[in-house]
This record gives sequence, structure tokens and C-alpha cells, in this order.
Amino acid sequence: MTDQSLAILLVLATTLFAVGLFGVLVRRGVLLQLIALEVLLAGPALAFIAAGARRGDAQGQAMFVILLVFAAAEVAIGLALYLRLRRCADVSDSDSVSQLRS
Amino acid sequence: MSSNFWLLLVPVPTLAAFMTLAFGPFWLGPSQVRAVALAGAWLTAALMLAASGVCASGTCHLLAPVFTVKVGTASVALALILDPLATVVGTTVAIVGGFVISYSLGYMARARLADLRRFFAYMNLFLGAMLTMVMAGDSINFFLGWEMMGLCSFFLIGYNMSLPRAFAAGRKAFVITRFGDVLLLAGLLLLFYEAGGVRIDALVNAALVMPPGRRSVVAVLLLGGALAKSAQLPFHTWLPVAMAGPTPVSALLHSATMVAAGAFLLARFAPLFAATPEVLAAVAMVGAFSSCFGALVAVFQTDVKRMLAYSSISQIGFMIISIGVGAPQVAIAHFVIHAIFKSLLFLSAGDMAYAAGGRTDIAALAGSSTRRPIAYFSFAAGAASLAGLPLITAGWWSKEAILASAVSAGPLGEILWSLALIAVALTATYATRAVLVGAGPSTLLARPPAVPPAGIATNAPLVLLAAASLAGGLLVGPIVRFLGAAEPDTPAFSAIVGAAAVLLGVSAAFALRRHPHLASRIARARKVRQGFRIDAVYQQRFVRPFRHLAYWLNGVRRGGRSSGIVDPLGAVPVLGIVWLVRRMIHWAAVDRVDRVWMRLAGMVPELSSFSRRSQTGRVRDYALSLIFGIAALLLLALKSPRLPWH
Amino acid sequence: MSAMVAIVAGGLAVVAALLAVTSSDAVRSLFALLAALLTLAAAFFALGADFAGALQILIYAGAVAAVFVFVVMTITNSDALRAAERSRLRRVWPVPAAVAILIVLMVLPALRGAKSSAAVGAAIPVRAVGALLFGPWAVVVELASFLLLAAMLGARHLGRRAPSPPPNEPLQGRDGPS
Repeated sequence: MTDQSLAILLVLATTLFAVGLFGVLVRRGVLLQLIALEVLLAGPALAFIAAGARRGDAQGQAMFVILLVFAAAEVAIGLALYLRLRRCADVSDSDSVSQLRS
Repeated sequence: MSSNFWLLLVPVPTLAAFMTLAFGPFWLGPSQVRAVALAGAWLTAALMLAASGVCASGTCHLLAPVFTVKVGTASVALALILDPLATVVGTTVAIVGGFVISYSLGYMARARLADLRRFFAYMNLFLGAMLTMVMAGDSINFFLGWEMMGLCSFFLIGYNMSLPRAFAAGRKAFVITRFGDVLLLAGLLLLFYEAGGVRIDALVNAALVMPPGRRSVVAVLLLGGALAKSAQLPFHTWLPVAMAGPTPVSALLHSATMVAAGAFLLARFAPLFAATPEVLAAVAMVGAFSSCFGALVAVFQTDVKRMLAYSSISQIGFMIISIGVGAPQVAIAHFVIHAIFKSLLFLSAGDMAYAAGGRTDIAALAGSSTRRPIAYFSFAAGAASLAGLPLITAGWWSKEAILASAVSAGPLGEILWSLALIAVALTATYATRAVLVGAGPSTLLARPPAVPPAGIATNAPLVLLAAASLAGGLLVGPIVRFLGAAEPDTPAFSAIVGAAAVLLGVSAAFALRRHPHLASRIARARKVRQGFRIDAVYQQRFVRPFRHLAYWLNGVRRGGRSSGIVDPLGAVPVLGIVWLVRRMIHWAAVDRVDRVWMRLAGMVPELSSFSRRSQTGRVRDYALSLIFGIAALLLLALKSPRLPWH
Repeated sequence: MSAMVAIVAGGLAVVAALLAVTSSDAVRSLFALLAALLTLAAAFFALGADFAGALQILIYAGAVAAVFVFVVMTITNSDALRAAERSRLRRVWPVPAAVAILIVLMVLPALRGAKSSAAVGAAIPVRAVGALLFGPWAVVVELASFLLLAAMLGARHLGRRAPSPPPNEPLQGRDGPS
């Protein structure tokens, strides 16, 4: 892997991150925001793996494993919250849950 | 001590009586009070008679200096003088005063002791003040006497303190005459400024050398003062209501003496007025209108005292006419005669009213010829003199003199003569009417309570005055000559026309008697009876705004109570200062420093509410702020060769 | 190890991510997400990270996305909702797009700095990863397990069937509870 390909891969990772960020900021539906969050997390994942492969270091993949754990935990809680929220609010529009007390 | 020091003693008995009665710490019984009052009046009259004897016999220009003060370049030399004018007027005043005080002894028989003392004290003070004014040789004494007369008038009109009408009348008299006094004072001060001295002859001489415009101003000012005091148009409204005072007060002050003081003033300053012909013409016109007005309104009166008040206005108008045509001596002659018969009319009317149960309306006089014959016949004598019945009454002679002086005074004089004739006819009418009513049988529904017949103290003055009012015609010529003028020769036609006017008036009164419906028409003419409502106009135009001003200056809200301290001129700066301070406080109370702090403190909630808007509660907004924060941190932290601080 | 394949797969992943983010339908979005994750797995394989690629497919695309599928199954999607989502998307995209582009732009200069040097890098065996995880990074693993435990408990609590009573007092009459 050349430096140049690493650079391109990192740019791609950043783009993934940016796309995920865009999605979080733009989407109104809670579920869709969560999906965008997943995309967001994929960005650094690619970055870690690429960097690890470039240096020949296992830490890249180990970091990816930790990241996976983060993603799993976040998805679990996020979806549980989403299900709970669905009972008392209109979850197709996250703006509707803007008050502390609904 | 000059050789004429005894002149200063003339007013002293009255003033001493005043001091005794007013300030004397010792207790005096009613008879003692009366004795003191009587002594004061008659001693002064005696002294005055002595002075007049001195004057009549020899030289009659005596000067008794009081004291002299040097003020800068001017010298203020107070003095009393005795000249023919002062003698004539002073003697009249003293004798009439003596008669009235004698009459009052009986009239005030049932007054309380304190009121008795008060009454006689003021009467004596009045006599002293008037004599001071009459004999004044300088403007200060003159003005002093003038003012004191006004003050006594106020107190005497309001003598009956339980009657609010009396107090209001006294106040009105005081205020109107005070207004005239201000004008008089202005005139006297202008003369003092010109003359540099206060002696009246000095003032008159200075006036004669003044530029004509200024002289006219001074003359008008003096005229204003005289008109107010003499109750001439337009200052006449106080005299009819001043009849709320007791009858002796009306007899002495408001008929014989005080109200003629205006004419006396004009006579004193006659040379000054002679040098301002246009003012003199105005004087004559004012007198003519006043006499017509007074006589006309007097015909319509139902109250005898009011009728006599309007009659006084009219008679003094006659005096002013003759002054206006340049014959002040004739005016003084009429003054003497008028003092005699007017005081007689008042005294006798008072006695008849007392016999009729205290009512003063003309109808109550009916039956007095049997009830109170002495009073009635003296009243008739006085009324005859007032009407000017030809030849047999004193009034005829003095009035003829006035008419003669008027008719021979040029074209204006003829106009005045005609106006005066109208007034003469009307005068005869109302005078005769009152007499005729008294002659008739009593029209009272209920018999009035029987009162004891009047004593000698009451009847003697009446009889004497009645005799004088009939025989006094003999005095007119001598008085005029004594005062230094030639007796005016009476054209025959003036005498005849004058007599005709009088007889016309008398027959008109008889006609009224015979035609009751005319009389009832007269009785219903309320507007005329109220003097054409001139007084109401004054109330509206002058008195009410002034009252509002006075209340405002003294900080009294409508219907509120004042602080009791009346000082309008002092209140003006106070009000101004209060307003100014209030404005300053209003400006400064804003407390600029505090405002700044308050604004700072106010910014905190504003900031808070502004910042609160960033707490939208929306996930995406929070995400955005997260991004920005992390981006900033990363920028700071990460080593990138493109950033300047790495 | 082929960087080129990885780059291509990464590009495909970006395309799929864009689709996932911009589609108004939840199901379509989910499928696009799956596509992105799988292409990323391909990229990992191309980079020689076999363990990561396998984990990506098994856990990320397999478990996490599957959970998403379960949840999406429970929602009722209607045309109205889709239209609403589309309209909202149309309204608000400028600012986030600007932010995203800004981020990418900031990284682009890194391309210039990279020199085309010799190819370096090797495929990393699983054994090395395991040695790392059970070795120096054991504490991190334990911490990650704490996190998982917390997440599990939280999810279990939040997902209970019977909700706790609402925090408000039940409305009472004026005289208090009668």
C-alpha cells in the first residue's frame, strides 16, 4: 500500500464519516438518524483498518473490535430508546421530542 | 413747637377716645363708654369750631408742621394745614359726626358692652382719620387719613359679625376702595417723584410744570382713587351693599363724609385738574352719568337704605359735575348741604324702621307719620331738601348753584346741564315717593311691637338737622365766597327750568301714588333695581378669576382648606421654586448610575433568554453543535503543517 | 493485499451510504446500510484484515443490522410518512451538507502530502490481534465488557413491557382524592 492509497482510503473514510454526519443532521425520523449513526461509525472503522494495514500493526484491528463493541452497545440502547419513545411521541419527527416533559 | 401747634390738637379727642375704648385696659360700663365716645366727638367738634372761628376771623392759611425727614434729596415734611377748604369740610364732618354719635347712643342702647365699645371706638377713629385727611397739608397725612377711613368703613360695615352678608359687604367695600387707593398712591408717588417733597402745595406746583402727558396720567390716577372712594361709576357697586351696616354707620360714613372724600380730593388738587382740561371733562362726564344712573336706579328701589345709597351716588355725581366744570367751591357747598340732609335722612329712616319692627323696606315706612312723627317730619324735611324744593330748602340753593356753574361752562356744560336736570327730576321723584308712602296709613299686616318713643339723644339731632336742611340755603353763598370763588350767577332760565324739573319729579311721585299699576311695574323691574346688574358683571369678570388666582397661589384645591397664611406675592416665588426643584428632581431622580447598573443587570436575563434559544431540544441541533465543538478541538490539537500555530 | 480493491470497495460503500442517508423510506435506507456495511467488509478483506472483515459481516451486518430489521418490521410505513420525510429533507439539507463538505475539504490536502512511495504493509494474522487483545489490551477488553453489560441492562430496562407510572399526579378533584 502506498502512501497515496492510504491517503485516498483516509479520504474515503472521512467521506463516510461526513455522509453519516450529514444524515444525522438532516434526518428527522429517529430510526433514520440511528441508521445514519451506523454509517458514521463505519468511517473511523475503515480508517483504523487502513492505517493498521499500512503499518502492519494489529492495533488497527483491535481498535476496530472495540469500535464494534461501541456500535453494538449504542444500537442496543438506541433502539430500546426508540421503542420506548414510540409509545409516547411521534418518532417520525425527532423535533417533536424537544421538550423535557412531553 | 410752632405757633400753630394747637391745630394738631383738633383730631386728638377722637383719637384719644378711640385709644381709650379700644386699648384701654380698664373696665368701662356702658354709660362710661357712651360718655367717652360723646366726649371725643364733641370735643373735637368744639375744637374744630374754634379753628373755623380763627379761620373766619383772620388769616386762614395756617400751617402746623408735624415733623420733617430728609430722604436723599427730597424732604418729607409732614404738616397739618388749615385753609378755607379744610375749615368748611372739617367743621361739617365734626358736627355731623357729633350728631350721629349722639343718635347712636340711643340706637345702640341694647348692644352688648363689648360691641358697644367696638362701635364707638371705630366711630371715633373714623372721625379722627377724616379730620386728619381734611386738614392734611402733605400727601402722607392725606393718604394716612384716607386709608384709615377705609379701614374703619370695613370694620363698621361688618359690625354685626353674626351676619355674613355684612362681612361680605365690608370686604367688597374695602377691596374696591383699596383698588382706588392703589391708583391714588401711584398718582401721589409720581407727584412726589416730580416734586421731591410731600407738601400738597409743592406737589401741585410740581404738577403744573410737568409735561402735559404725564400730568394727565397723574390726574387720571388721582381721579381713579377719588371715584372709587366716592362710589361713582364704574366703582359704585360697593355702596348699595354697604348698607348692611348699622344705620349710624350709613349715616356718617356712607352718605355724609367718607363718600364725599373723593370730591374733597378733587377739590384739593383742583389746580392740577384745571391744568388738564381733557381729564376735567372726563370728570364732569363721569359725574353726570353717575348722577343720572344713581337717580334712575334709586327710583326703582324697595329698600329705603338702598334708595338712599343710590341717592348718595347721584348727589356726589352732582358734586363731581361741578368740579368738572371748574367750580370746586360750589361742589363743597353742596357737600355741606348734602351732609346735612343725607345724614338726617338716614337717621330718621333708621328711627322709623326701628319703630316698624326693624324692617327697612319703603313699604314699612307707612304709618310712620303717626307712629314716629318727629322722625317722619324730619325725614320729610330732609327729603324736601334732597329733592330741592324751590327756594325753601337748602338743597335747592346748592343744586341751583351746580346747575348754574354747569350751564355756563361751554357746550359740554350744556350737555351736563341737561343730564343733571334729568337727575334732578328723578331725585325729586324718589324723594317724594318715600315721603308719600310714609304719610299713608300703615299697610303692615300685623301691628309692629310697640317701642318706646325716641329719647332726646335721638330726636335732638333730627330736629336740628331738619332745621339746618331747610334753612341752610343761606349758607351756600357765603361758603362759596369763603372758599375763594365768586358766587355763580344763575341765569334765570336755568332757575326756572330747574324748578320745573323738581316739580315734575314731585308730581310724578304723586302720579305713581295714584296709579298703583305703574308702581307695580316699577316694583317688577328687577334688573334696574339691581343697578343694571353691573355688580354681577364685575363678579363674573373680575372677582371670580381673582379668587381662582388667589386660591391657586395659596395652593388651595377647589373646596379645600388653605394654610391660613395668605401671601400671594410671596407664594409666587415659592411656587416657582417648588416647580423648579420638582423638575430637577425629576431629571436627577432618574439616577443615571443606577440606570447603568440596572441595564447591566437586565442584560443577564436577556442573555439568558437569548442563550436559551440554543436549547432547542432537537437532536440534530445538538449534533451540529457537537460537530462544531469537536472540530474546533481537533483543529487546535492536531498537528497540521498548514495551521499557523503548529 | 490490494489497495485498489479496497479503494473501489470504499467508494462503493460511500455511494451506498449516501443512498442510505438520503432515502425517505426506512426499509430502503436499511438495505442501503447493509450494502454499505458489506462493501466495507470487502474493503477490509482487500486490505488483509481478515478478522475485521469477518467481524464486520457477522456482527455489524449480521447482528446490528438485523436488530434494525426487527425494529423496522414493527413500524408501519405509509406514503404520507415518506412524503413528510422527503419534504423535510428538502428543506434542511444546505447547512449539514456544507458542514459535511467542509470536513471532507479539510482532509483533502492530505492527498497532496502523500508521496507515491514503495508499497508497504502486510496482512495481519488473527493471531496477532488475539495476542494484542488478550495481552496488553486486556483491560480495554474488560472495560468494553462493562460497556456491553451496561448496554444490555439498559436495553432490558428500557424495553420493558409495562411502563412505570407517569411522573404526573393523577388529576384529582378539588377536595383531594375522594
